[in-house]
Amino acid sequence: VNGLHLSAADGKHLRISGIDPLLALCLQELPAILELRDQPEAQARLLPSPTAGDETANRDWRETVAPELRHLFASAGEIVSRDLTQLKPSPRDARFRTLTIPLAHVPAWMSALNQARLILAAIHGLDEIDMNVAYDQLDPRKAPAVLRVDVLGMLLEHFVRREL
Amino acid sequence: MLKAMTAPAQPGVIRIEQTRPNEALDAPWNVVVLNDPINLMSYVTMVFQRVFGFPRAKAEHHMLEVHHKGRSVVWSGGREQAELYVHQLHSYQLLAQLEKPS
Repeated sequence: VNGLHLSAADGKHLRISGIDPLLALCLQELPAILELRDQPEAQARLLPSPTAGDETANRDWRETVAPELRHLFASAGEIVSRDLTQLKPSPRDARFRTLTIPLAHVPAWMSALNQARLILAAIHGLDEIDMNVAYDQLDPRKAPAVLRVDVLGMLLEHFVRREL
Repeated sequence: MLKAMTAPAQPGVIRIEQTRPNEALDAPWNVVVLNDPINLMSYVTMVFQRVFGFPRAKAEHHMLEVHHKGRSVVWSGGREQAELYVHQLHSYQLLAQLEKPS
């Protein structure tokens, strides 16, 4: 992931180069991870209540706002899944992959990467401690999920840095 | 709130009716962002800049408050606007809630 680089390909596209095999694997898994958004743990995290105890407000939110947000998240996932079909071997080094996406898709990418991280964390019950210990000290059942959260986070960090 | 009304049965007499403001509507509401071990610090900063138009330093201040104290009040005001902000923060997948100040 160290050689990862995002650059404007022209005025309308963004080229993501230096995608190593691990990141490529995580990206190929991304659509399947996003499909888990309706599992109860993931749904609770992606569509939280707007108040701590106002049940009327929370119910109204679930009926009106939550479906809209769910649609927004699903749309971002669909955009990213389509873009990922363009993941290609790098012309300079076949071990790496390159992906060119429309600049207009950047918000969808940030949303989808963040969704995937949150979904994995919710389903695998990752907490603050899991996210801050060395991989070899992690519960082996959680380690693969933490690794994916971290790898997808590195790509998200590159997107965010371009925006800040 | 004072509201002046003309009493039709008594021409020329001004009746002053005192009404209480609707506290639920008028009292300020807080928009609170809660800590989450997964969201990147840089991502949270970016969201605060986008949603509230905070300068970078103020956005980072609130992000660090969330990170270290577990929560940060990022905005206070009318309920309708507060709900809109919570909606926007949820669209960025931040944990945000409306809160009535105690």
